[in-house]
Amino acid sequence: MDISTGTTTTTAVPTTEQFIGILRDLVGFPVGPEELDTAFDQLPGWDSVYLLKLVTSMERETGLRLPVARVLEARSLGEVLALVVVP
Amino acid sequence: MTTTIHPPADGAAPESPAPAPAAAPAPLSQIRSWHAEGTFVEHFPDILGLLHRLDDTARASVGQLIARLDQDEVVRRHPDTQRYTVAITGHSTLDGLIGPLTGELARHGLLLAPELSAYDSYLQDLRDPQGPLRQEGTDLVLCVLDAETVSDELPSPWRVEDAEEILAGKLRQLTALLTAHAAAGGAPVVVNTLPLPARLARQLVDLRSRARLGVAWHEFNAGLLKLSLEHPGVLTVDLDPLLAAGAPATDPRMNAYARVRFADGLFTAYAKEVGHLVRALTGRTRKCLVLDLDNTLWDGILGDDGPEGIAVAGSFRGEAFGAFQKVVKQLGAQGVILAACSKNDREPVLDVLRTHPEMQLREEDFATVQANWRPKDENIREIAARLNLGTDSFVFADDSPFECGLVEAALPEIAVLRLDEEPALHIERLLADSWFTVREVTEEDRARTSLYRVEAAREEFRSEAGSTEEYLAGLGVTVRFSPPSGHEVIRVAQLSQRTNQFNLTTVRLQPEDVQAWLDDPERLVLAIRSTDRFGDNGLVGAVFAEQREDGLHLDNILLSCRVFGRGIEQICLGALLRAAADSGHTAVHGHYRPTKKNARMKAFYPDHGFTAVEDGFRHGLTGLDETNPMPEHISLDADLAGVPTPH
Repeated sequence: MDISTGTTTTTAVPTTEQFIGILRDLVGFPVGPEELDTAFDQLPGWDSVYLLKLVTSMERETGLRLPVARVLEARSLGEVLALVVVP
Repeated sequence: MTTTIHPPADGAAPESPAPAPAAAPAPLSQIRSWHAEGTFVEHFPDILGLLHRLDDTARASVGQLIARLDQDEVVRRHPDTQRYTVAITGHSTLDGLIGPLTGELARHGLLLAPELSAYDSYLQDLRDPQGPLRQEGTDLVLCVLDAETVSDELPSPWRVEDAEEILAGKLRQLTALLTAHAAAGGAPVVVNTLPLPARLARQLVDLRSRARLGVAWHEFNAGLLKLSLEHPGVLTVDLDPLLAAGAPATDPRMNAYARVRFADGLFTAYAKEVGHLVRALTGRTRKCLVLDLDNTLWDGILGDDGPEGIAVAGSFRGEAFGAFQKVVKQLGAQGVILAACSKNDREPVLDVLRTHPEMQLREEDFATVQANWRPKDENIREIAARLNLGTDSFVFADDSPFECGLVEAALPEIAVLRLDEEPALHIERLLADSWFTVREVTEEDRARTSLYRVEAAREEFRSEAGSTEEYLAGLGVTVRFSPPSGHEVIRVAQLSQRTNQFNLTTVRLQPEDVQAWLDDPERLVLAIRSTDRFGDNGLVGAVFAEQREDGLHLDNILLSCRVFGRGIEQICLGALLRAAADSGHTAVHGHYRPTKKNARMKAFYPDHGFTAVEDGFRHGLTGLDETNPMPEHISLDADLAGVPTPH
C-alpha cells in the first residue's frame, strides 16, 4: 500500500513512512518520525477525535481490522502502529 | 503520480478505472502536495475548484484538512471566502461529521464554520433560547438523530410496547421543540429519520412484535418527515435512500467504544445531502443539465451506426439507455433545463430526436440542441449565453473522458458527471448528487424548458438570418387584435401590473377594472395576441381607448418585452387609426407618462405620425399610408368593430 501511488487497498502492515502519510493526508495531523513515541498527552493538539479518524483511515487504507478497544488505550502513535498486524 | 482510488461511498458499483489524465497531476495528489509543502491556504480557491473531481471519500479527507485550517487566515488571504455557520447538535459523538461536511460545503464554495455542541445535548440545546443553536449568525442547525436516541431509553429487558411508547413520546417531544424553535425564528433545523437497526429489531424474537416495532418506528420517521411539510423552518433528511444506496449505517466497534453512531460512509452521505440542501437554501441550485448524446442518451454512435444502428430499447444496453432517458425527462418535467451538446451533424441528430421510434426524450424536451463539431466548452458557453444563465448553474454529463476532462479544465465551475461505457450506471451517476434540489417546484418551473426552447430557437433563427428584414420575413408573425374574451381579462390585468418598459402611462389595473372598461360603451379594450413559427406567444399586449368630448383618446398601450422589435405595435396602431378614420374620426389623441422604466417609449407617438400637443400627442388621420405603413411581414386578424363613433 502506498498512500500516494496505491490504487487498491492491500492487507499489509504500513511502513512508518506510510503511517506518517496517513496521519498527514487523511487524518490531517502531520507528525515527524521522532514524534511517534511521544505520549499523546505530550503531543500538542492531539485528541481522541484524531485517534478515531486514524482508526477508520488505517482500516480503509490497509484493509486490516484494528483492535479498536486496544487502540483507544494506546499511549502513543507508535503503540497504535504496533497494534496493526496481519492476522 | 495517480490518485488513490477509493470505492464509491454510495457503494453503487465498482468504479471502472479512471482514465489517467495526461499532464496535470491528479486532483487529490495535487491537493495533498500543497498540504505537505505548506501552501494549502495559498491554494485554497484552487482546492475548492478541484473538489468536484474527487470521489466522496477523498473529498471528506480533504475536508478534514480544510477543517484544521486557521479560518481567519483563509479569509485574510482570500477575502471573497464565504463562511457558513452550522450549529451541530445530537445524541452522539459527531466530530466525524466535521471533515465530510467541510468537504461538501467547500465544494459548493462555502467555508464551514462548525459550532459543535457538547455530546448528547440536543434536547437541552433545542430548549435553550440563548443556547448554541440560537446564536446570531447561525445559518443552519443540524440536529443529528440516531437509533440510540430511542433505544437508550428502553428498559432491560424490554417489550415492543415500551418501544412504541418511547417512539410516540419522542416524536411529541421533538415536534414541540422543533415547532418552538421554528416559531422563535431560529435558523432552519435539519433533522433526519432514524435507520431501524437489525441489532434492535432482532432482539424481539416473535414476528408479531417485530412487525409492531416496524410500524411504530416508521410512524416515528413519517412524523419527522411530516414536520418538514408543516414548518418551513424544519428540513428532514430521509436517511433511507442513503442507506438503500449502500451507505453503511454504523460501525459497531465505534458505536460501542466511542459512541459514534454513524459509520464514516453514512456521515459522508449525510454531509453530501446537507451540502445540496445548503445550495438550495443559498440560491446555488443548478438549473441546467447539458447532455452528450452518443453513448450517453443512446447506445451507439449516430455518425457511424446511423439512425437504425443506435438503440434506446430492444436490447439489454438499449433498455438501460431508455431508462436513463426517462429519468432525464423526469428532471426536465420539474424545471431542470435540458440541453444537448453532441459532436455530430445537426440534421441527423434532429431527425433522431423527432422521428426515432424509441426515444423517450424528444426535441421539445431540450431547451436547445447543439450538434456540431466545435469544442464542447465553446458550445456550453454558447448555451449559457443563449439561456441567459451562468455556467456555474450547469451540470454536464458525458461518457467520454476526453470531453469531461476538457470541460472540467475549461469551465471548472461546472459539475461534470463522468459517465462511462456501462449505461446501467448512468442513472446512479446522475443522481449520486442532488444537483437540482429546490424547496418547491412551481407551475412555471414545469413549463420552463418549453419557454426556453422557444426563446432559444428564436434567437438562433435571428442570429442565422442575414438581416432584420429577412429575420422578420421568416419569423411568420401573426397577430390577433380584438377585445379580450372573458378568460383573457385576468391576463390583461396581469400584463398591466407586470409590464414596465412598453407601458405608455403605467396605469395598473385589477381584473375588475379591465371588466369595467369592457362594459363601458364609450371605452374600448383591445388585446394583442401573437404567434410565430416557433409557437404561441399568448396574450402579449393591450390597448385602452376612450371616446371623449374632443375625440378618441389612447389612454394606454402595453406590450410584453418578449415581442419587441417585430412591428406588432406598429401594425396594431396602424389598424386602429384606420378603423378610427373609417368610423368618422378626424383625430386620435395619444398619452404618455414617463416612468423610470419606460423612457425608451417617449418617442413612440412622434415616431408614428403623432404631433406633440398641449396635453399629449395628436394624429390628424391623414396620410396614414405614409405615416403608418402596415408591416408586410405580419398577418393581422383584427376585430375593431367596437371602435366608438364620434359624438
